[in-house]
Amino acid sequence: MPSWIQQAAHRGILTSRYPRVAASEPDEIPLTARGPLPTGPIGPAAVDGCPVGAISPSGVDQGRCVRCARCLATGFRFGAPIEMAGTSPASLRTSTVAPAPSGAGSLAELGRSLHVFLVDVGSCNACNLEVLALANPFYDASRLGIFFTNSPRHADVLLVVGVPTAAMIEPVRRAYEAIPAPKAVVAIGACPISGGVFRGQPGLRSSLDELVPVDLFVPGCPPAPTQILDALLTLAGRGRRER
Amino acid sequence: MSPVVRRVGAADRFDLTPDRALAYAAPDGAFALYNDYTENASWLVPGAASGSVSEIAANWLGGGDDGPTRRLAPREAVEGYGTFTFPYGPISMGVPESGRFDVVTYGERVLELTPVGGYKSRRILPSLAGATLADAALRVERLAGNVSASHVAAFLAAAESAEGVAVPTSELWTRAVAQELQRVYNHVHLLARIAEAANQNVGAAQSHALAEELLRLQGRVFGHRWSFGALLPGGPPRRLDGPGRRSLAEDLRRRREEFEELWELFLDSRTFIDRIQGTCPVPREAAVRWGAVGPTLRACGVPWDDRLRVPVAPYTDLFVPLPVERDGDALARLLVRVQEVRASLLLLEQLLDRWPAPGEAPQPAAPPVDPGRGLGRVEGPSGDLVYDVRVAGSRIAAVGVRTPSDANWPVFASGMRGAVFTDFHFALESFGLVFAETDR
Repeated sequence: MPSWIQQAAHRGILTSRYPRVAASEPDEIPLTARGPLPTGPIGPAAVDGCPVGAISPSGVDQGRCVRCARCLATGFRFGAPIEMAGTSPASLRTSTVAPAPSGAGSLAELGRSLHVFLVDVGSCNACNLEVLALANPFYDASRLGIFFTNSPRHADVLLVVGVPTAAMIEPVRRAYEAIPAPKAVVAIGACPISGGVFRGQPGLRSSLDELVPVDLFVPGCPPAPTQILDALLTLAGRGRRER
Repeated sequence: MSPVVRRVGAADRFDLTPDRALAYAAPDGAFALYNDYTENASWLVPGAASGSVSEIAANWLGGGDDGPTRRLAPREAVEGYGTFTFPYGPISMGVPESGRFDVVTYGERVLELTPVGGYKSRRILPSLAGATLADAALRVERLAGNVSASHVAAFLAAAESAEGVAVPTSELWTRAVAQELQRVYNHVHLLARIAEAANQNVGAAQSHALAEELLRLQGRVFGHRWSFGALLPGGPPRRLDGPGRRSLAEDLRRRREEFEELWELFLDSRTFIDRIQGTCPVPREAAVRWGAVGPTLRACGVPWDDRLRVPVAPYTDLFVPLPVERDGDALARLLVRVQEVRASLLLLEQLLDRWPAPGEAPQPAAPPVDPGRGLGRVEGPSGDLVYDVRVAGSRIAAVGVRTPSDANWPVFASGMRGAVFTDFHFALESFGLVFAETDR
């Protein structure tokens, strides 16, 4: 009769070697996890065809892009860098490579360990599940000193997913206030950065930084777990871009 | 010592005719959709909803809470010495989504539990009016990301029926592939969550690993781990050509072996089985009375599955197994899901084996229920999902939806009466409820 130990041994080591080794594609980073980049001059068809207004003649706002792929027909390809987290929504407006965010390692003083508290302010559930995937054996964030905590009082980092709804304004503010300093806030996905596909809808805030100060913005719809991991490592001064 | 507890409400006023369960009441009361589980039939009642239907809708959808939140199940008033109500949520790590549970208790036993939603209401449905079909579909697939394929498939079927357009056969088959892949993922994910709640750490880690492999599989086939855009025109390129299908079939065979090995180990764990057996039981009568759907309903011995009862292509051409259990508890719901993983893998095998040849004639959409108005109905991972779409010209005029979570929140609440609070997580996960589906 097989046992759990035999079964686990049979499957071998599943855990990614990221960030020591670059993320694998398409397993860790599927096609659409990379943001779109233009392959030539940006034409009006691309600008008009983008359903979320992420494309302008000067480039792509990765914080607005929801990876719908409609722009592929108008001279774009998914080729933006994997590690794209930026310190402001403006730093995500680029047609080339997003610069390594300077000063993002605001929690580097905490050394090797970060405790993370997740708050959903109006998500579709995909970002929540991508964040929680960091605990599965493939990513195993605990090997990098990253742990989920059940209380904001024990947390260093507030991870926020979803487009902020009226009913979640007060809870997210209170969660932020409950976290002891030094602390950081990370906005996960297009929704808390720009409103995503819900941008401009009545009753919704278009950006999380209207409510609490945000340290890092991670674009994507949703970002892949590796990209969320990169943002947390960047906060701790240990991301691939800091190497 | 148990306190004297008195139920001062009257939940019975929500009774429906026995064996004739409410499945869908449009928010505007324009029509109601009934399932008659004894006759295995369902029908639409046009015009204003009947008294009982509108009364039910008004009583629990109407709220009774302050602000934008609303109750998702009727609340029965309970009073007695030592009883108090504590709100669990809207932020709690035990439930990764935002939502609240009002628990009436005297310290140990749950006397009454009311899920309260609305915290993450994004007002998606009103925002669809006036949008093009493609733009509306982008929001529909983000209504509940982990079940996006079934939402998009039902929405597109309703819109195509309203517009009376024919759909390429290969598109219908692609929708079925995306839906079945997501069903397998969701069922395995719930198995992992239940194992986590039961402190089966190795089993939970292994099931989460399998769920991750299934997401990666979707990422390889559709370019996106949650299949966003996969079923829409102009979406990311798909890998469903000949070599893509062969590689998917090969991959699924390996996932099936992993799943069987995993489940065999879970079955060997008496502590795991003991923990979920008898937890949050829902008697057949209650499931039918509350209009339960999906694995929740099938775990109570009611053999209803939209893929068989209201079949559309390609399910009309495939062998669709129908797993049913009798006990109605968390174990029965999990057993149904486990058998459905096997069933979905079998369906995927059939789909990939018998892929339509290029140039096969497009399939006509279902006839509209009214001119410019169509219904789309699919069996989502947690049950019967209905979209009601009205179109005007090439744009959406109005959209109504009844999700499996709408139907199953009251069933969960009724099952939790008399449970202990430590049952909460096993119970909740066994229903596969998603706040995002009701907070739309």
